[in-house]
Amino acid sequence: MKQNNMLAMILAGGRGTRLHDLTTKVAKPAVSYGGKYRIIDFPLSNCANSGIDNVGVLTQYESILLNSYVAAGRRWGLDAKDSGVYVLPPREKADANLDVYRGTADAITQNIDFVDSFSPEYILILSGDHIYKMNYAKMLAYHNECKADATIAVIEVPIKEASRFGIMNTDETGRIVEFEEKPAEPKSNLASMGIYIFNWKLLRKMLIADAKDENSNHDFGKDIIPQLLNDGKNLFAYKFKGYWKDVGTIDSLWEANMDLLDKNNELDLNDPTWKIYTEDVTALAHYVGPQATVNRAFVTQGCIIEGEVKNSVLFTGAKIAEGAKVIDSVIMPGAEVAEGATVTRALVSDNVKIGKGAVVGSADSEHIELVAKNVKGAE
Amino acid sequence: MSKAFGIINFAGNHITVDGLHEYRPIGAFSFLGRYRVIDFPISNMSNSGIDQIQVYIRRKPRSLIEHLGTGRHYNINSKRGKLIPLFSETNAENNIYNTDISAYVENLDYIEEATYPYVVIAPSYMVYSADFSTLLQTHIESGADITMLYHSVDNAKEEFLNCDILNLNKQKGVLSIEHNKGSAKNRNIFMDTYIMSKDLFLDLIKKARKLSSTYTLSQVVNYECEELDIRGVAHHGYFAAITDFKSYFDANLSLLNLKTAMGLFNSDWPIYTRTNDSCPTQYFETANVKNSYVSNGCLIEGTVENSVIGRGCVIKKDAVVKNSILLPGTSIDKDVHVENFVIDKYAKIVHTSEVVASPEKPGYIRRHDTI
Repeated sequence: MKQNNMLAMILAGGRGTRLHDLTTKVAKPAVSYGGKYRIIDFPLSNCANSGIDNVGVLTQYESILLNSYVAAGRRWGLDAKDSGVYVLPPREKADANLDVYRGTADAITQNIDFVDSFSPEYILILSGDHIYKMNYAKMLAYHNECKADATIAVIEVPIKEASRFGIMNTDETGRIVEFEEKPAEPKSNLASMGIYIFNWKLLRKMLIADAKDENSNHDFGKDIIPQLLNDGKNLFAYKFKGYWKDVGTIDSLWEANMDLLDKNNELDLNDPTWKIYTEDVTALAHYVGPQATVNRAFVTQGCIIEGEVKNSVLFTGAKIAEGAKVIDSVIMPGAEVAEGATVTRALVSDNVKIGKGAVVGSADSEHIELVAKNVKGAE
Repeated sequence: MSKAFGIINFAGNHITVDGLHEYRPIGAFSFLGRYRVIDFPISNMSNSGIDQIQVYIRRKPRSLIEHLGTGRHYNINSKRGKLIPLFSETNAENNIYNTDISAYVENLDYIEEATYPYVVIAPSYMVYSADFSTLLQTHIESGADITMLYHSVDNAKEEFLNCDILNLNKQKGVLSIEHNKGSAKNRNIFMDTYIMSKDLFLDLIKKARKLSSTYTLSQVVNYECEELDIRGVAHHGYFAAITDFKSYFDANLSLLNLKTAMGLFNSDWPIYTRTNDSCPTQYFETANVKNSYVSNGCLIEGTVENSVIGRGCVIKKDAVVKNSILLPGTSIDKDVHVENFVIDKYAKIVHTSEVVASPEKPGYIRRHDTI
């Protein structure tokens, strides 16, 4: 089904250093979220739901798991004829040496041949580590309506926090007049979401010029967008309303999971018109035992709960034994909490085992405790 | 790669499950929240290396076809493997001529064309885990003409009344197959599962046709008991035959005991099913859930006990669901009390406060009904 002439490229090379031990073995886009998902399921599902048939995923850091994960395009239904998910790590070419991606723009520059092979009219640049639901087809319609050269998705943030973001200053028509990266005194509260639509012909030219510029960081935010503004091109801000989260730290990853516990929460993963697709795991419906209590929780298939779970998110196959307590916590896939153990305000990493009677995290900690290694039981 | 192809058979004319059966064949019944009954025989075949599986469908094919799809989710090789739905064209409801044999006769070409020397035949209405590759090995090494799987039970007087039983000699040779009339406690319940050579299978189909137009496979095998070397092999582990409403209800709830469930599920014998991409289930402040299976996509504010909750169900505040099975997409409104009931897909219980039956005679609410 050919729907629009837009190719999507997802930037998924980042390490996510501030996620510490969660990303020593996997890249940030492959980090688990929301009980059964990985973060990159969001942009990929958004593409599938927006009628985008071809998606390139630019990977670099610890990419073995990520590469094999995204290569199975049928998870998101991106496996029809003339449709696919393409894994694009840096590669050696006939006319260039093997080089890592030096910046977000360079990652696209190094794959100009790949993009050209689809001869798209538009290119959609996405980040692989944001959690949100967005119809890119609507953004493209806006791009065309404005006759824009480039369109940047923006979200309103509290003005107090605006200095943490790249801020777009627009005129009354929505045209971007100025871009400021993390301004000390922000003039507007429209933060860039790192989602761009470009006319490919124009971007292609810009990228080739940028590659030759030795002073460039080869970055969309730092180099390409300011250059387009300098050249007097038509850049428009597309205002997005809804849930959007960049989970850069353990605290914010925990928070994003906790957001799912609210009634009628903004992300609404239960919306049948905009499902988020993910790996299909073979597991039973989750089981809640005769002694268990489960309140304010988000629980997925394969879990076995025999203890107490409160204010928590349980991922695929998590096991909470009898007498164990899990409060204000995130229990990642396959993690187990043994009899009598207590987990409070913690994020327990994949397959970690918390031993009998162990106590992890505390109710009044400033930060969320990341538990990335097995914890021995109390004697 | 297995030396056998697989056949998944439909339930015979004598089997009817009140209510649920009006809408779909037993194979398409929701089981334990996220499965369909047919997932068990197909997963058994797939896990046993059987690559070509023919699924025979007698009536109401829609929901079964939708669930089976391309068969990809059953982990069958997507190029060499095949999951083929085959229909018995007469398609009549309770027609005595509409037997498994007539379905095989109509699709004889597909059976003749199968390039495997053996066939494994398993029912779409029974729930068990079994390794057909060891069973096939046993069959080949024994030199038997037919190997049949049975399960020994001590409650055949009250249960399994719609099943057949095997009468065995001391060497496990099958003397006869007869209907379980409930006259004895200890019986070998026939699991309607056969292994034989393709050639013998074809001979039996043709022979059945000559003997009687209403003969089923089990009847012709029974007729041949003296002529052929037919042996029984005992099955151990969990076994349920979905042959009436009560057995469907009991089979689901019996698995609430985790030890019992371990006899059906184990990590090196996965049971595959079709994913619906539902998000995880959300429990609210007032939720009170005990001893239950809950599928994804549910919103739970009320009380659930000893129950199986299908995908995407809504249980409102102060609602109580006990000893019941909710099929996918049902919703139970505030203050409603449901006990010993099966609530079929998308039904809504809104305006009534008591939907209660006895555990001996569980109740049923139809699909899409609003009560």
